[in-house]
Amino acid sequence: MSSMPAKLIPVPVSGPEVDAKPRDVAVRLDGVTKRFGDAAALSEAWLQVSRGEFMTLLGPSGCGKTTLLNLIAGFLFPDNGEVFIDNALVTDVPTFQREIGIVFQNYALFPHMTVADNVAYGLKARGVARGEIAGRVADVLAMMKLTGLEDRKPRQLSGGQQQRVALARALVIRPKVLLLDEPFSALDKNLRGSMQVEVKEIQRKLGVTTIFVTHDQSEALSLSDRIAVISEGRIRQIGTPPEIYRRPADRFVASFIGEGSVLRARLDRIDEHLAVARVGTTQVTVPAAPLSGLSPGVLVDLFVRPEKLRLGAGDAAFEGVVSTAIYQGDRVDLHIDAPHAASTRVLMRIPCHEAVPQAGSRIAIAIGDTDATAFPVGE
Amino acid sequence: MMQRRPFFGTFVTPGVVVAVLFAITMGMVLQFSVRTQIPGSLDVGGLTFANFTAMLHPLYARVFLDTLWLCVLTAVISLVLGYPLAYALVRSHNAFVKSAILIITVTPLFLGEVVRTYSWIVVLGRNGFVNSLLLDLHLIAKPLELLFTITGVTIALVHVTLPVVTVMLAAAIAHIDVAYEKAAESLGAGPVRIFLTVTLPVSGPGIVAGLTTAFAWTFSAFATPQLVGGGKVNMISNLVYQLGLGNFNFPFAASLSVAGLALTFASIALLRMALRPIEKVEP
Amino acid sequence: MRQRLSAHALRWSGRLVVLAILGFIVLPAVVVGIAAFNAKALLTFPPQQLSLRWFVNAFTYADFQTGFRNGLIVTLVSSSIALVVGAAFAFVLDRYDFATKRLLETLLLAPLVVPHFTVGLGFLILAAQVSMSRGYTVVVLCHVVLVLPFVLRSVYISLRNLNPKLELVASSLGARPTRVLFTVTLPLLAPGLFSGWLFAAILSFNEFTASLFVTGQKTQTLPVAMYNYVREYADPTMAALSVVFIVATATLLAFANMFLGLGKVLNVEHAR
Repeated sequence: MSSMPAKLIPVPVSGPEVDAKPRDVAVRLDGVTKRFGDAAALSEAWLQVSRGEFMTLLGPSGCGKTTLLNLIAGFLFPDNGEVFIDNALVTDVPTFQREIGIVFQNYALFPHMTVADNVAYGLKARGVARGEIAGRVADVLAMMKLTGLEDRKPRQLSGGQQQRVALARALVIRPKVLLLDEPFSALDKNLRGSMQVEVKEIQRKLGVTTIFVTHDQSEALSLSDRIAVISEGRIRQIGTPPEIYRRPADRFVASFIGEGSVLRARLDRIDEHLAVARVGTTQVTVPAAPLSGLSPGVLVDLFVRPEKLRLGAGDAAFEGVVSTAIYQGDRVDLHIDAPHAASTRVLMRIPCHEAVPQAGSRIAIAIGDTDATAFPVGE
Repeated sequence: MMQRRPFFGTFVTPGVVVAVLFAITMGMVLQFSVRTQIPGSLDVGGLTFANFTAMLHPLYARVFLDTLWLCVLTAVISLVLGYPLAYALVRSHNAFVKSAILIITVTPLFLGEVVRTYSWIVVLGRNGFVNSLLLDLHLIAKPLELLFTITGVTIALVHVTLPVVTVMLAAAIAHIDVAYEKAAESLGAGPVRIFLTVTLPVSGPGIVAGLTTAFAWTFSAFATPQLVGGGKVNMISNLVYQLGLGNFNFPFAASLSVAGLALTFASIALLRMALRPIEKVEP
Repeated sequence: MRQRLSAHALRWSGRLVVLAILGFIVLPAVVVGIAAFNAKALLTFPPQQLSLRWFVNAFTYADFQTGFRNGLIVTLVSSSIALVVGAAFAFVLDRYDFATKRLLETLLLAPLVVPHFTVGLGFLILAAQVSMSRGYTVVVLCHVVLVLPFVLRSVYISLRNLNPKLELVASSLGARPTRVLFTVTLPLLAPGLFSGWLFAAILSFNEFTASLFVTGQKTQTLPVAMYNYVREYADPTMAALSVVFIVATATLLAFANMFLGLGKVLNVEHAR
């Protein structure tokens, strides 16, 4: 039996626990539910976003993340629960009084106004003095590298430029919260990468609390301070990217984020915080929370990330036959068939400088004994 | 919450007012259709169905049948003529040709009944265009009587409904994905076959819409039968005018309107039922 | 080779058919156009001598002048009222749900299927019942009811084509609903509003049947005046007036097509 690693801190899923000082909470949702007809688009959502934090709402299409964003923005009103912005109750407050800034996927720039008028719109609506408007617009355009385009109409701009104008328009009013609704989905890959970096830099520099909606998990992992993973109207887990990646709270999060293999394991031991699952002769420590209620001896699904598998010798957990080896530039992805040991195809990664097994060859695979999660079979 | 539906009250009230106004006028027509007329006065007497039974008189029955027949005839002819026009309008590649067809087809819609109908008097009259042409070409010995006949009225009515039928058909054809026809073409079908098996069926809903609209419009026609029919060819509309405005027999005029409306709705319902197979096609 | 010939023949015969149908549509206008210049007072064809006297007569005939003036008043007032009522209701129709929505929509669109002579009769009876003389009020109200469906449809289509996110963004930037309406919604709806108004105006000006029922001697609109003229006189004055009508209408429509794209409004553009 391998020595027990340091105590694993259980990760809260989503509930009414407070994890930040009240003064620092910029956005708070308490048990918010929204129904459309009979279907619940969002059920019992509890969320706290700290001031200056970059929080991502991540999930597949239709999961409710956009509904959540719309509830914070005030485009929708909840059926149950309360919404707070800067500790003020805003549940019934209409959008134009909430001091938020939003950027939509299709930018929604006013087609009949110039860039300057678009950006100045919010300031005019708030009755800011004309002289001050001109100054603030010029500043934000400079920050977004749009100087010189003030008199252009949106249709005369490229996609990337339009997005910057949308961002400038939202930021110039100094919103309490910045909401981004899949803003990069319409951009091509290269532009997307550079825009992501730019937005993150601006967010950090200005310190504006940002809530970002996306279905792209790699984007979420790279940009966020914390991620809320949502599926079928429920928040599954809230945590930092490493927490989400290494300690997924349930099967959905585990399979939605990153990649992994599902191995057949047997539950050896389970106590209050930790459990031990066994594949072959290898024992792996996993969090007990997802397995609560199960007794030792039952089969469980062990979820392992590709980088936690390696070619083994004496310490191998199981064997398999290599199906394909795919060259990825910096590494090789091996897809392995091991039907007796795994319920999915096994994916492992090996660095290029190591010897790559041929397709069809039989190999032995060892499992790293940390950072795995197990779930009841077939959840 | 007031904020959730800004402007609702202000914006819906005028619409309600107009809707109520319209409902009241129709209510008046309905109400008058079951009252007796007091000759020489605008007042009406007690409730009665006499107006409706009076309609069974052969004189009036004739008018009802003529009206129905004209509606059917006009709708069918408009469809046959309108389809090629609609097809050309949607499928031609030349922007100028498209605009030209559109303007030419749509302009008559906006000319007003009197101008449109009057022009046909000049064309169909004893000394008009058609007769002069045929006489000069020695195709006929003496002028044809086209005015004051069902033929003449039909021609003029088709001219009135053709634009709207064309526009409705064009709207339907425009929404057919050209990919369907390209697929048929790639499978070896010739243009005629493509048209009969793909285009025509998929434009089914447009055909039904066009036919019912032409039917309804023809039923409403007044100036055309009044001027081109000259009192010899009467539709329900003309009767209503003669009795309502001529004799101030509001009750009978009202009952004619009600009966006519009922007849139209029934006919259109029957038409749609009969055409259901082609209406149900989903493009 | 044979396929190409028959395809060719098909295309050309198709073109001929379309041309023939277009000819049918244009025929009366052309004939009337030529007849209008006839020097003689008969409706003969072809005219032996040419003259402009019927145009002069048309423009100077008193009833036509008052008819034109009345028509202009009635049209401007009713299409403007119809624009405001129709645009407001289209807004509500597009965005809100409420109990009587379908009923109101049906009532307001009903004049499209109810014959104008029935609507005219109804207003005539109503006016008689409330002892209202056949003054401008009745005529304007009748026209509003008749042209409202067109305005309603035109504005509704424009609203549907409006990107809803634009108004949401404006709201998020702090604009109250009234500001959003005037700075975002209305400017973007302007083409739809204008084309709706234009079509309503043209239809109202040329409306005949219902007007025949509700107008009196003093409030006679131009089409009614023209009808009365034709019943009494058989000279080409009407032909001359018709020519003016046709040219004016075609020009207005070509103008509307250039700026607004008739195809879009009538929904005959290719689906994307």
